[in-house]
Amino acid sequence: MKSLLVLIAMMGMTATAWAHKPSDAHVALSADGAHVTGRLDVAVRDLNGALQIDDGDGRITWGELQAASPRIADYVHSRLSIEGCPMAFGTAQLVTLSDGAYWSLPISATCTRAPHELLITYALLFDLDAQHRGLIHVAGQTVIVRDASPVRVELGARTNVASFVRLGIWHIFSGIDHILFLLCLVLPAVFQTKRARWQAATSMRDVAVEVLETVTAFTLAHSITLVISAIGLISLPSRFIETAIALSVVAAALNNLFRTVDARWAVAFSLGLLHGFGFSSVLIDLGLPSRELIGALLGFNVGVELGQAAIVLIAIPLLYAIRRTFAYQALLWGGSGVVALIAAIWSYQRCFI
Amino acid sequence: MLALGAVGLAGALTTAAFVAPNKAAAAVRPYTPASASDVVATVPRRDPQEVAARQLLAKSPDRVELAVALARADIGRARSLSDPRYLGRAQATLGRWWAMAEPPPDVLLLRATIEQSLHDFHAARIDLDHLISIRPGDAQAQLTRAVVATVTADYPAARASCDAVASLAPALVAEACKAPLDALGGRAADAFNDLSRAIDSWRGDPSLALWATTTLAEIAIQRGDEPRARMLLERVLAADPNDAYTRAALADVLMQLHDPAASATLCAGYEQIDNLLVRRAIAEHAARGPEADKLAQMMHDRIAAAAERGDRVHMREEAMFVLAVDGDAQRALDLAKANWDVQKELADARLLAEAATAAGDRAAAAPVVEWAATNGVIDARLERFLGGLR
Repeated sequence: MKSLLVLIAMMGMTATAWAHKPSDAHVALSADGAHVTGRLDVAVRDLNGALQIDDGDGRITWGELQAASPRIADYVHSRLSIEGCPMAFGTAQLVTLSDGAYWSLPISATCTRAPHELLITYALLFDLDAQHRGLIHVAGQTVIVRDASPVRVELGARTNVASFVRLGIWHIFSGIDHILFLLCLVLPAVFQTKRARWQAATSMRDVAVEVLETVTAFTLAHSITLVISAIGLISLPSRFIETAIALSVVAAALNNLFRTVDARWAVAFSLGLLHGFGFSSVLIDLGLPSRELIGALLGFNVGVELGQAAIVLIAIPLLYAIRRTFAYQALLWGGSGVVALIAAIWSYQRCFI
Repeated sequence: MLALGAVGLAGALTTAAFVAPNKAAAAVRPYTPASASDVVATVPRRDPQEVAARQLLAKSPDRVELAVALARADIGRARSLSDPRYLGRAQATLGRWWAMAEPPPDVLLLRATIEQSLHDFHAARIDLDHLISIRPGDAQAQLTRAVVATVTADYPAARASCDAVASLAPALVAEACKAPLDALGGRAADAFNDLSRAIDSWRGDPSLALWATTTLAEIAIQRGDEPRARMLLERVLAADPNDAYTRAALADVLMQLHDPAASATLCAGYEQIDNLLVRRAIAEHAARGPEADKLAQMMHDRIAAAAERGDRVHMREEAMFVLAVDGDAQRALDLAKANWDVQKELADARLLAEAATAAGDRAAAAPVVEWAATNGVIDARLERFLGGLR
């Protein structure tokens, strides 16, 4: 319901719609032994409210900000602290978040001894904006600070990486398209081309080498795009990625039927690039601060590889055992055909529905 | 083989050309502007009078009338600029009195107004009831109480406040207070005519007529007369393009009129305002506009940012988005249910009914069915969903 303030005179309107977002500042920290590093991102317009940086024309320039830099550092120094860890600041830069420019101040602190937990006092801006929130990101947790009283944050980085390993494994097993893609690629491995004719592989060693090549190529490719995408270098529309991944499954399955490309490692690599973008969406959705991204990426990728390895280790011996039977032929031709069909339907759905 | 590899790489690289910077909060990399003269932020110009008043308040922090005037100005800015930061500023300015059980009446009114804006209807109602017990002739308090009571479905209290407003404020204000209650209780035609007449005969402050016209349009929507609502809302917007509430209402009407492209255009350029971003994202999605994915991502970012700071102010908008764009009926239903626990306007009822319909969960709509039956609510859109569920 539209409410009316009869008694409050309406203020003069201006043409600009300001950011409709309450004020937040981010403090991302990570601890390595006795060293705590990180960064504070605080909105330029909030700093202006506290320190009157603008010269009065309503436009804050980079020059004005730099001139105010010592005052900003003093302000932060007097209002942000970690108990037992005296803080120093690096050279500030800017970051652009969804609602405008933020002053980004590198933090480094050296504690008297390696901490198990941090006792952080965050007291910026509350006296000017009671709805201001300090969001402290440490070790995979975000603590919301609503007032100037100190908050205690446990440092649990190790369990954190482990949880990303689990996330990676879970993602492989829950994403049927990745499994099908991988299976399509390794399915013909037990049945190799010799002198332009297909015949059952004669040794497990040949099979293992071929599978290793394929899986390594896939891993390499999706790791590259996973990293590129997770650190934000490239971001693609999810509809595009999801469709492309489904099409890659079609391609891998059709390749079994028509045997266009015998070097399946090449297929694994080129199309695996697409899958990395799909993996990264999981991490991006978590909105991890950059400090935690490395550990998360590493853990997640390890998890993905473990999941992959499990699938291959189960599938290959089975396939090897049945490679001379009709069942294998049925699986190779029929299975690939069915997968191609299903994945084609997915492609259509993901693109158009 | 090379061909396939080339196709894969080419695909990846072509898509890289669409690169849209990822805005997920802290994953963004800092940069240094190229030149000292680069403008990095625009801020409202400082008002010398305000600066003087703040200095005065700093010198004598007990002067409640100074704090009230400053806070009132900030609440006005929060509304006219659709910027909630000013609410927090107003609250901070009142800080000395904010936590008091018995603050001065003027502070009580502003505290209630801020609480209402932050969707803390319970606290707002307590403050307003208290204020009215001290100062029953406070028209603004009665009017705000009518709004809060309506949003929380306490219609007898809303009606009592509107009755009080009738003897305290101009006839148009009283009529605009009462009309939505009449309309909700099944007398939309009369309510529309009464309010329409009151607007036509109004000769005072034009901004009051605009406010009442938006209310009139909402009654037209309730009657299923979207073309009329569109006309009325367009009139209000023409007079005040910064009225984000009316712009959002018109965007909804255009969607009902099956014109998502017009709805998207209407909201374009207002993406900073959550209520308009969500509507543009939904409209672009429906119109299959070129920016649909980008807008959906922006909205996801916005939702994540709000969740990160622990806010649950925009559950209605989030539910709308999840239903229309993500197509996740179950999640939308959960959000719509949680939203219904907080606010019970017609829009919230429609949303819950729509989400329940989409999720095929008849039982979930029961609270709305009961609410509509108890209060004799007749609403064209609600009927469409509930009809399907019965």
